[in-house]
Amino acid sequence: MKWKTVLKKGISVLVAGSMVLALAACGGGSSSDDDSSDSGTGSGGEESITLEFQQWWGVELPDGFLAEICQGFTDETGIKIELLSNPYADTKTQVAAGAAAGTMADVVGLDGAWVYDFAKQGSIANLTELMTADGYDDSQLSDQIQYEGNTYMIPVVNFAYPMYVNMDILEAAGVEELPTTWSEFIDAAKKVADSDENVAAWAIPLSTESPSGIQNNFMSWLWASGGSMLKDGQPNLTDNGDLEATVDFVKELFDEGLVASGAYAMKEADMVEEFTNGRVAFMTDSLAHLLTIKEGAPDMDFQFMSLPVKDGYAGQSGMDVANWGIGIAENCEHKEEAMKFVEYLMSPEVNAKLAIAANAFPGNSNADPDYADADPLFLDAYAIYQECYAVNEFTGLPTSEELMRSFDEQLQLYLDGDTASTKEMLSATQTIWEEAFK
Amino acid sequence: MIGKKKWYIKLLIIIALCLGAIYAAFPILWMLLSSFKPNAEIFAWPPTWISENFSLKAYTAIFKNPEQVRFFINSYCIAVIVVVLTLVIGILASYSFSRFNFPGKSFINTLIVSVQAVPPITLLIPYLSLIVTLKLYNTYWALILTYLLFTLPYAILMTTGYFNTLPKDLDEAVMIDGGSRWRALWRVLVPTATPGLVSVGMYTFMQAWNEYLFALALTKTNDMRTVPVGINLLMGQHAYEWNQMMAMSVLGSLPVLILFLFFQRYFIAGMTAGAVKN
Amino acid sequence: MSAARTSIYGKERMKVMKTRSRRMDVLKKKSTPYLYLFPTIVLMLLLLVVPIIMVIGYSFFDNVIVNKEPAFVGLKNYISIVNDATFWVAVKNTLIFVGGSVVAHLILGMAFSMLLNTRYLGNKTKGIFRVLYVLPWMFTGSVIAILWKMMLNPNGIMNFLLEVLHISSNHIEWLGSRQTALFAVTFINIWSGYPFYMISILAGLQGISTDLYEASALDGANSVQQFIRITIPQLKPILISLIMLDFVWTIQQFALIWMTTGGGPINATETLSTYIYKQGFSKYQYSMASASACIVLVVCTIIAIFYVRHQKARD
Repeated sequence: MKWKTVLKKGISVLVAGSMVLALAACGGGSSSDDDSSDSGTGSGGEESITLEFQQWWGVELPDGFLAEICQGFTDETGIKIELLSNPYADTKTQVAAGAAAGTMADVVGLDGAWVYDFAKQGSIANLTELMTADGYDDSQLSDQIQYEGNTYMIPVVNFAYPMYVNMDILEAAGVEELPTTWSEFIDAAKKVADSDENVAAWAIPLSTESPSGIQNNFMSWLWASGGSMLKDGQPNLTDNGDLEATVDFVKELFDEGLVASGAYAMKEADMVEEFTNGRVAFMTDSLAHLLTIKEGAPDMDFQFMSLPVKDGYAGQSGMDVANWGIGIAENCEHKEEAMKFVEYLMSPEVNAKLAIAANAFPGNSNADPDYADADPLFLDAYAIYQECYAVNEFTGLPTSEELMRSFDEQLQLYLDGDTASTKEMLSATQTIWEEAFK
Repeated sequence: MIGKKKWYIKLLIIIALCLGAIYAAFPILWMLLSSFKPNAEIFAWPPTWISENFSLKAYTAIFKNPEQVRFFINSYCIAVIVVVLTLVIGILASYSFSRFNFPGKSFINTLIVSVQAVPPITLLIPYLSLIVTLKLYNTYWALILTYLLFTLPYAILMTTGYFNTLPKDLDEAVMIDGGSRWRALWRVLVPTATPGLVSVGMYTFMQAWNEYLFALALTKTNDMRTVPVGINLLMGQHAYEWNQMMAMSVLGSLPVLILFLFFQRYFIAGMTAGAVKN
Repeated sequence: MSAARTSIYGKERMKVMKTRSRRMDVLKKKSTPYLYLFPTIVLMLLLLVVPIIMVIGYSFFDNVIVNKEPAFVGLKNYISIVNDATFWVAVKNTLIFVGGSVVAHLILGMAFSMLLNTRYLGNKTKGIFRVLYVLPWMFTGSVIAILWKMMLNPNGIMNFLLEVLHISSNHIEWLGSRQTALFAVTFINIWSGYPFYMISILAGLQGISTDLYEASALDGANSVQQFIRITIPQLKPILISLIMLDFVWTIQQFALIWMTTGGGPINATETLSTYIYKQGFSKYQYSMASASACIVLVVCTIIAIFYVRHQKARD
């Protein structure tokens, strides 16, 4: 009995103590919040303004790098930047919720796939107006993502998606030359599959949670062969010979067992793991992974190559790019200052620095990153990139992610044999896509 | 003869327990082992057990990062406050449901249970607007109040159930002796229902500790964020820091585990053996 | 004042005061339960009921939030949802997922708690096993999703073990194939959720007086009979609460499914929660999402009503 009472008293003390501690910490938390909200709303011209910058880039950049860049801006202008980090997967939900509740950060990192919808909702600000008001020369921007003629997002850096090749696997399989056409690719792939049953020739992440595999790994075949899935900005999936050929090609890869297993649940990061573990021979993937793969597999011999093109195609190839985009919230109270920050990030020197740190290409065509210190492989990829034209037809489309998802689902149905023919599959997808464009 | 039977049963029980333990604990073991591996080795085939490149790098990275340490502090503070508040408010409400009959009882009861049925994701936007209007955005209190809403229905339901298993004689005994209902509640019912209350408290702690969606949506700056959000921050667009995620999960579960170890004496039989007798 | 008048006046006064104090007593008695409920009601009303009403409101408008001026469309959203084939697939999957989970949770929770409550082992042994059994509970949803995704990877540890134990030698795509995905996801959910039942039942078992068991043993009952005649009836209130809560919670299970399969492959693991999420945050159809949520709310409210009626009958 005594023991019990002692214990009970001990627990109540512990609990009481924790509450005190918690309230103290609590108080600390909310007071710091008051501080930031004060300076955030800017009570006058004298007090320094703080801009909130919401992004997911921190994880991908070296520790403290982004903070340093922002400090550079503060040194120049006295405007402080508060970095808010979010998991990439949730950034879209966060931005959407923030837009609805009016809590969106002043400056937001955006993915090209979201721009159309946020612009339509009026959640992000019209950058064309802001740039004109500021007298900014926008010709130096390599790309601007627009909605109804106005820019709403500017790509800060571009990630190219060349093809990674595991040379060790190719050597073991007896593949002497890198394939340049689809039929050569299939031959090489078959050799790889025959030589080692634990190794797959190619991988594609088709998880419907983040269906970017359709953009980066499927459509890249189409775009590399000069094809297009749109016509005058509208879906053109039927009567599209190039696209049909692409679907047939990918189906053949699946039917011949040349694709890494688990494709339907695979995400981009999973695919990278497979490649790093030496289980995939060819992979279309972001240049940003170069260092990750190098660190994970220091002994692996791999290179870059441009995507094999459709047999008979001799024109310039399109290389898939994804980007880190930036936009300004419509409910931002300091749009001019925010625009200055955007311009700072896009200025040639800063942009070049960002590009190098992220293993990406600059969004400012005048930026001249000194890639001399970069990995030689990166330079190879850069050379390949420069021979291609950058393309990503999903950027700026309505509900892009949903478009990718429905294409993904239809593709899976076709690959599983539920749909009878390529034409049917494309026609079904076309119907779904047209709904979104209304 | 009796001895033999007992031995036989004991063995069966131990085998069953061991199989169950493997089922329960193997994935956790795997998580633990993975937290000591370098990132790339996690998907090696055949899988490696103890890594040749055994490293504590994942753990040191966490401890060295004040932001991540702050995640733990936040989670801990919020969870403790939520548990205390939930138990107090829940006990009061359960007492009401268990010992009284009053107009509107069914309605309120139904309401409490069914409000949990709204998928949190749909509540997200209106709720966020509400919190912003109340000027609670990005504070501890936003999360504390939110978690209370999630944990109260459960706490009330379960505690009412536990109170219902305690006969009304207990209350009567106190009141006949001249005590008030309040006294009956806190001096007799609560101590008797302690095992139930402990399990409710534990679950409340865990719900508060492990919640992700609202922790993410209602906070903005990293100094207000909790462990689950911290773990998800390690999932970049292009790469996952698997070993750090596993390490953080292991560390994140330790407080709960310790709490459980501490409180599990309450599950040992015997607390109510004598109390029921008149 | 004469004594007589004072006393009559006094008596009247006393009567009035007595009635008043009796009324106050009655008032106090009647209001007591409400007073105890007061904090709960305030909290729930303010923070929960208001947003829920907003959500219900959204469901009757067209394209809320996205559209600055949504138009009232009555039941149009509900009709589109009911006509959507994917919705019914989601319903079917949800029923399988929830049904399987709840039943398995109950069985496992019961079995484990009985094992952990056995007389045949010492407290220390039981303590160790208790801790092991409770482990799945300690982790947050997204971590469990990632962990199992890692383990169920075609090249992951599960397939490896299956191969070693000669049960199967294919690299089964647990989460990637339409045949196995729902099963895999339900399996993970069962694993992560049974401790809830186990702990609650264990606590309940402590509350059953050992006298009951002793008395029945004297009457010649064996363990099975004891289980059916004593344990289950005694635990019934708790079990019913558990089942109902689990039902409601499992319907909302989102993180686990989203992070392992995203509702795929194709629709194999599409449940109501992923369906709603996609409508809201991928198609930006918040009204439709709100309407679907209301349907879920109605279903769960009906169940809640049955539960409460049942509780009432018991009393």
